[in-house]
Amino acid sequence: MSVAPVEVERPETVESVELDAGWVTIVWNDPVNLMSYVTHVFQTYFGYPKIKATKLMMDVHTKGKAVVSHGTRDEMERDTQAMHEYGLWATFSHDQ
Amino acid sequence: MGLRRTRPFAAQRGRRGAVRVGLTDAERQLLAALFDDVAALLDPDPADAPAATDPWRDLEAALRVEPPSDPAVARLLPEGHRDDDELAQGYRRLTEQSLREAKQSGLIRAGAALRREQDPVVLDPDEVAALLKGLTDVRLVLAQRIGLHSDQDATDLHDQVGRLVHRAQRGEALEPAEEHWVTMASLYETLTWWQEALVTAVR
Repeated sequence: MSVAPVEVERPETVESVELDAGWVTIVWNDPVNLMSYVTHVFQTYFGYPKIKATKLMMDVHTKGKAVVSHGTRDEMERDTQAMHEYGLWATFSHDQ
Repeated sequence: MGLRRTRPFAAQRGRRGAVRVGLTDAERQLLAALFDDVAALLDPDPADAPAATDPWRDLEAALRVEPPSDPAVARLLPEGHRDDDELAQGYRRLTEQSLREAKQSGLIRAGAALRREQDPVVLDPDEVAALLKGLTDVRLVLAQRIGLHSDQDATDLHDQVGRLVHRAQRGEALEPAEEHWVTMASLYETLTWWQEALVTAVR
């Protein structure tokens, strides 16, 4: 079986990722974690720029929760576990 | 050094991500002991183990992993899903043991760094990360013990501590429960301040 080089160049995973994506990780507000620390975690673990990390932290603080990542169920379980390691209150769920 | 009195943690000049600890020896020992306590709390509680049963008769019950009965431990190892019990069970079965172990090894690592014979103690970035997580875990446990459950509780905490300290300073005898609470709550406030200083040092 051969594949034309031009086909290989295409981002072939987009379709399959989208089929299985549709899960999210949510971080919930809690009275213990510091605003500075939550921002730091979002920057450190997700690699988000400071402005995005700060906005997500403010959403958690003022709205009670924020969706912090999207992906497959496995990825979201992994992100949830990482958030729990940091002591943040996180859950994963199917995106609706 | 004047710095020691005012700044518990400061970025170490010339070493990216390294942090110089400005705590006193007694403060370092106290924090390391708290890390030991929380690490011990994370050992599985035999009381939480499922009751002996015939696994073949009730396989589902045998596989159930209940959330820890101590609310402080339950906060350290929270549910992974809010509405779907099956997903929550699956997550706990999959992750709880490794989460316990990751937290324990981080607490032990942070404690060992704080106990290092070095003056001043300088933490490398991995130790800083372990210390930040460890401070969070200790504060989560203390928050459960002192009944800090809402943002309002957090706002009121400082005034409540102040009122009790004021009464004690006037020579009034505090109830043992009040005494215990104010000790834990003061400790919580101190750790909050230290953690804020540590985050500031690494930003």
